[in-house]
Amino acid sequence: MSATTDIREVVAKYGRRREQLMLILRELESRSGCNCLDPATLREVAEEMNLPASAVAGFVDFYTMFRTAPRARYMIRVCKSTPCHTAGAIDVFESLRKLLGIGEGEATPDGLFYLERCECLGICSVAPAMMVNYDLHGNLTRRRLARIIRSYRESAAADGRGSGRETAAAATIIDDARQTRRLLADIGRVNPARIASYLKHGGYAALRKAVATTPADVIAVVKDSGLRGRGGAGFPAGLKWSFVVKGPMQKYVICNADEGEPGTFKDRVLMEGNPHLLLEGMAICGFATGATIGYIYVRGEYRRSIDTLQHAIDEARTRGCLGANLFGSEFSFDVFIKEGGGAYVCGEETSLINSMEGLRGYPRFKPPFPGQAGFQSLPSTVNNVETLMSVPLIVERGADWFKEVGPVSCPGTKLFCLSGRLNRTGLVELPMGATLREIIDVYGQGIRDGHAFKFAQVGGSSGGILTAELLDMPLDIDTPMKQGVTLGSGVVLVCDETTCPVDFLLQTLAFFEHESCGQCVPCRVGTAQLHHHARRLAERRAAPAELDQMLEKAQLMKKASFCALGQSPIIPLTTLLKAFRGEFEDHCRPGHACPACDRSLAQYYRSGRTH
Amino acid sequence: MPSIKITLNGREVECRRGQTILDVAKAQGVRIPTLCYHPQVSRTGACRICLVRVNNTMFKTACTEPVADGMKIVTADPEITAMRRGILEFLLAEGDHNCLYCEANGGCELQALCHEHGLDTPPPAGLPRNARTRDVSSSEGLRREENRCVLCGRCVKACGEIQMNRVWDFAGRGSHAHLTTGVTDVLGESDCVQCGQCVQLCPTGALSFQTVLGRGQAWELTRQSSICIYCGVGCKIDFFTNRDGLLVKAEGALDGPNEGHLCVKGRFGFDFVQSPKRLTQPLVRKDGELVPATWDEALDRVAGAFGRIKADHGPDAVMAFTSAKCTNEENYILQKFMRAVIGTNNVDHCARL
Ligand SMILES: Cc1cc2nc3c(=O)[nH]c(=O)nc-3n(C[C@H](O)[C@H](O)[C@H](O)COP(=O)(O)O)c2cc1C
Ligand code: SF4
Ligand code: SF4
Ligand code: SF4
Ligand code: SF4
Ligand code: FES
Ligand code: FES
Repeated sequence: MSATTDIREVVAKYGRRREQLMLILRELESRSGCNCLDPATLREVAEEMNLPASAVAGFVDFYTMFRTAPRARYMIRVCKSTPCHTAGAIDVFESLRKLLGIGEGEATPDGLFYLERCECLGICSVAPAMMVNYDLHGNLTRRRLARIIRSYRESAAADGRGSGRETAAAATIIDDARQTRRLLADIGRVNPARIASYLKHGGYAALRKAVATTPADVIAVVKDSGLRGRGGAGFPAGLKWSFVVKGPMQKYVICNADEGEPGTFKDRVLMEGNPHLLLEGMAICGFATGATIGYIYVRGEYRRSIDTLQHAIDEARTRGCLGANLFGSEFSFDVFIKEGGGAYVCGEETSLINSMEGLRGYPRFKPPFPGQAGFQSLPSTVNNVETLMSVPLIVERGADWFKEVGPVSCPGTKLFCLSGRLNRTGLVELPMGATLREIIDVYGQGIRDGHAFKFAQVGGSSGGILTAELLDMPLDIDTPMKQGVTLGSGVVLVCDETTCPVDFLLQTLAFFEHESCGQCVPCRVGTAQLHHHARRLAERRAAPAELDQMLEKAQLMKKASFCALGQSPIIPLTTLLKAFRGEFEDHCRPGHACPACDRSLAQYYRSGRTH
Repeated sequence: MPSIKITLNGREVECRRGQTILDVAKAQGVRIPTLCYHPQVSRTGACRICLVRVNNTMFKTACTEPVADGMKIVTADPEITAMRRGILEFLLAEGDHNCLYCEANGGCELQALCHEHGLDTPPPAGLPRNARTRDVSSSEGLRREENRCVLCGRCVKACGEIQMNRVWDFAGRGSHAHLTTGVTDVLGESDCVQCGQCVQLCPTGALSFQTVLGRGQAWELTRQSSICIYCGVGCKIDFFTNRDGLLVKAEGALDGPNEGHLCVKGRFGFDFVQSPKRLTQPLVRKDGELVPATWDEALDRVAGAFGRIKADHGPDAVMAFTSAKCTNEENYILQKFMRAVIGTNNVDHCARL
């Protein structure tokens, strides 16, 4: 157990408020030497913070990054989400098991390494990927793995600073001049660690300009620009801001940087490549909505983003770009970071707010919406990183400039995260409405190794499957919805003809069961049953009638679930079934051969564990 | 609150802004099935049983959704019923429900909902279960059978919002979600004071009282209204007797000053009523043995002893301690007796504790 003095010291460092629970536990876990929070520590933390023991235990149990049983000095988390799966995550998993001589959930006898699986780490362009403590590594091959493991045996983990170079922001952007680089324009040009560099490139001019006008003016220009949320739902940003309750109470701006949708890595690149643009966007949002405090909720896996942002915040404070009376105005604004603990559902805005308050990440029912009662029940505006970073550009260059590209109903550019079986993967910025064909042929430079396109998963695990007929559909916010799919966060995961749709569905449905928060019945039970049926299909034990049962269950989940997580599995399920019904039916025959399913079953379902 | 108009099952009704659909339906006498909802605690919206159709376009949970002017609500139609059935089937598949063995049989909201919605076959075999570790006997007063738990959260809120003791919380996630009472999840080792509030709010047989075990399922028990005899609050209690007439359970009545609440004494301290050890006639001690006596003999003995003590040591050598189990009049008489007959102010009462 952590020494009592350690616990007192850490609690004193962050303060006793419940909203600090995540940071307190994270630091105690890091100090534990074995990456664990044992029950005695939890009891003492509860006592020290005057919280019920059950609340602390339930909190730790919710977030996958925490464990109450000892792990090892280095915890290795191998990503298994569909983009990494498509790129050979199973090989990584198998190689590591052989290399370390341990299975999943086990530690090496020397107490150095512990092996577990996890969902998307946000570096999918260099899939397959893994995380060692807080260091991210991609492009994993057997040789590379051996080298990485050796380096940890020899030297200490650098908690994020030891991440592989392939994951750096600028390296993630596809080098192709045909893009429309707006948000990405300065990445690689501006030094993210120097505010002076940002200022030299015109940084904080938009905030200066905004505070010289009125909040109504700012909301008007954002409304006029037609900017719609880039986090998935596509809600008009200006309209959301105008709904924020007015009055003298404290208000907040919350930046959603949880980025958990498998295949998404855009927000990480933005935050690590140009952090001040985000701070500036948040401050403008604060000015427009009457908020003086901003929070960035960053997923806990993004250690480097957190460090980069914290450094930027510190610099902005000393330079007077954050703080009291900004640019000689009445407006004051400051930004703080909140961290996630490994829960996809915490990207849902109300779940995120609960998580910020030190609670389990259960979504809240709406209404009240965050704009009425958000963080600490006070009015809060929640926007995605990409949305907020578009704001300074709009304020500076005007709504008409913003609308120069993209369709009328959702103008501007969109970041697309390319992963899968492409010759080139990474981040590209294109006008809203780019087609899959253009993305694959031009920016992805076609399918890898001369294979043929089979399907693309657009919008992440909660998005749909697009087959060849939809290659020319404009990928904007509204058009895909008419086809029962969504653009979501801009994921484009491309699969070739070697991909088995049943195996792909199995991974997708395992993801949903793993990430369901468990609060509401349809999703808690439905995700488990869907995963169960998918496993039976993969095992070639399912009856054809189960395909329709799956659809019925997913339909019930869509209609009855509390939040969009439980409402989503129907999308991958129906689109995959529609496109590949034949292959699904083949899997209902016990004699059907499927090496892809065999491998997944052998690696991931060996101990009877389902996820 | 300004009044607004909505359409409830085709009928225009007036209601107030701020009310939920469920509030309005209740006021109008329209039943909407619920499970996680309980009027004594804050809203949850987790079970989804109360879904209703709103404006022909979407489904909303009646227990959480506020009414809005012009809203059109349909509380039951074939699609809604099918959804509720689907949810109930999910719950049955997830847990371990065999009402044969369950104390709640006949008093269980889940059972009633399943019956109401025409469920007539057990869930198909082989579906994944959310099997949880059982902790049935660690607590003296509370019996816990997690595999009958529907994770409605009513116990969490009963303890947190009514008893303010915050023993329960959720742990795990998704299909592994379950309840916990602390870092070890052993109810008997938690901070539980055994007030029984969570049991009272539990809609299923997941929580029950050890006192009922083997003494009768809910359907066999008869309810009788009474007042708690322990203290001056005067909680209104519903006592339950089984088929043998044995008192097995106490519940706080909602319409008493206690609003459903009871303390551990009121909740469990009723075994004396039918105890064979109870005094039924006066006893006096003769040669160190208590033997039956007449009232006259017993009272003479007491009066004689009081008189002797008062003569030998003065009136302040005697004191009286009265009980909240007595009526006000009896308590009055005793203090009068002490002051006027014995001549002392040494009077106290257990309700002063
Ligand atoms: C399960 C789930 C996960 C989500 N994850 C994210 C996320 O990682 N990042 C994000 O910006 N929005 C996410 N969202 C959407 C948010 O709820 C919210 O709509 C968004 O942050 C609003 O910002 P925007 O309007 O700028 O897009 C998620 C929603 C759901 C239901
Ligand atoms: S839909 Fe799933 S994730 Fe959302 S509240 Fe329900 S259980 Fe939780
Ligand atoms: S909890 Fe209800 S449904 Fe479950 S076994 Fe008991 S009586 Fe039956
Ligand atoms: S019996 Fe009372 S104190 Fe104990 S868990 Fe239930 S509500 Fe809380
Ligand atoms: S124990 Fe009872 S009240 Fe508590 S969550 Fe389970 S079913 Fe609901
Ligand atoms: S890092 Fe593995 S899928 Fe994103
Ligand atoms: S009663 Fe409304 S959701 Fe449970």
